[in-house]
Amino acid sequence: MAGRQVNGQAGWDDAAGTDQDIMNEAVGWLVLLQSGEATDQDRAALSRWRGRSQAHMAAWARVEGILDVFQKIPPRIGHATLSRLQSSERRRMLRLALSALVVPACGLALGAVPWREWTADYRTDTGERRVIQLADGTRLVLDTASAVDVAFTAGERRLTLLSGEIFVTTGRDPSPTPRPFIVQTAQGALRPLGTRFTVRKDDDAVRAAVFEGAVEIRPAGSNRAFVLRAGERTAFTAEEFGPAMTVENGADLWERGMLLVRDMPLGDLVAELARYHRGVLRCDPSVAGLAVSGAFPVADTKASLDLLEKTLPLRIGKVTPYWITVTAR
Amino acid sequence: MLLSTVGLEVRQIQALYVDHHTWLYGWLRRKLGNACDAADLAQDTFLRLMVSRCLQGHLGREPRALLTHIARGLVVDHWRRQDVERAYLEALAQMPPAEVPSPEARLAILEALYHIETMLRSLPVRTRQIFLLAQLDGLTYREIAERQGTSLITVKRHMRTAFTACLALA
Repeated sequence: MAGRQVNGQAGWDDAAGTDQDIMNEAVGWLVLLQSGEATDQDRAALSRWRGRSQAHMAAWARVEGILDVFQKIPPRIGHATLSRLQSSERRRMLRLALSALVVPACGLALGAVPWREWTADYRTDTGERRVIQLADGTRLVLDTASAVDVAFTAGERRLTLLSGEIFVTTGRDPSPTPRPFIVQTAQGALRPLGTRFTVRKDDDAVRAAVFEGAVEIRPAGSNRAFVLRAGERTAFTAEEFGPAMTVENGADLWERGMLLVRDMPLGDLVAELARYHRGVLRCDPSVAGLAVSGAFPVADTKASLDLLEKTLPLRIGKVTPYWITVTAR
Repeated sequence: MLLSTVGLEVRQIQALYVDHHTWLYGWLRRKLGNACDAADLAQDTFLRLMVSRCLQGHLGREPRALLTHIARGLVVDHWRRQDVERAYLEALAQMPPAEVPSPEARLAILEALYHIETMLRSLPVRTRQIFLLAQLDGLTYREIAERQGTSLITVKRHMRTAFTACLALA
């Protein structure tokens, strides 16, 4: 079908399109050729298409370059290598997402009672970020819309994450017998071993990332523990761990209010900004796939959106200051 | 700070290098556990910064944040390359001797595999599978549709997606 459309556009008389158009057409031709449905007429039309401009010829050379790369690989070796690489990660994440549908009993106890958050020792509003120095020298940063209880006793130092995300840089315990440091979530407990790390409570799971040292994680419904090391992140539920993955570039910059992204889909970026925005901030699906790179001051929605509007073909529509949509320009 | 498009002067680059190179090298060495790779990647990090005005726009008051941002990307690439190499060697080890390529061919195949992995990395698993059946095994689209229990149109849609991703990086 795609090939047929290309046929229609590929006459001699058409004006040469943009690079993007040419690439799309090249893909259309390629699929038509490979499908085995191309007629002699199609092949003749392709040869005319290639001759239309330097850009068309260059595009086709790129296409042939790609096909060449695959020709170099013996099929069995290719499959064996790529299937080894092909993320067992993704499969495990899927299992994790499914298991999260079964809400653990303790999750209900902690998670579903909103009033608990009001008893939190520290909390932030949407768009707010707060830095707190705890009695033992631990530095605690609360991200947007977060709440945490702090309970230091003779026997332990316990933070309970009720909502949102925290960035913890543990301090050296001044008490004569070192007390364990624990971050409690509905899904399980994390025990840092002298370290900098973040914990985020999402609807389906808890996400943790470690920047220095290591953190031991014990899901509430499991006897097993799992150690997450510097440069790793994971997600877990009361029953299950996700795989340990590499921490994204600049993931710890939010501690300073910056979000650094490289080729992030616009939809994901807007969802991230929406966490800091009071009101509705949504992204039109037609532009959600655009790849975005840059540094965004997350807590300043306006500055971040201005930056997007200047660098991408986007329009920021404001129904009210609270209701903002990002659409194609 | 965010949108500055002013390129860095040589003097500024030198100052950055003097102030932060040793630190970055140490950071990379801790991360990689290998002095040689760390020296290479530290060099690559400054190189990237020098050639990219876009990156320079993000320098700000804490250059080390940007340097580690760039370096981390390079470390990830480095690890990916090692992952591909490991998977490739494991695959070779399990091939019947007659199918193991000659030593000269091995390196070219590894490079091609790395290239393919880069192009296909962002694709959904199913798109990858369908695409590889055509490109590696040379199955026709109709055969793939039958084997996958799906329609010809769906197969073509996956092919378009995959080719578009490949071309974006070619």
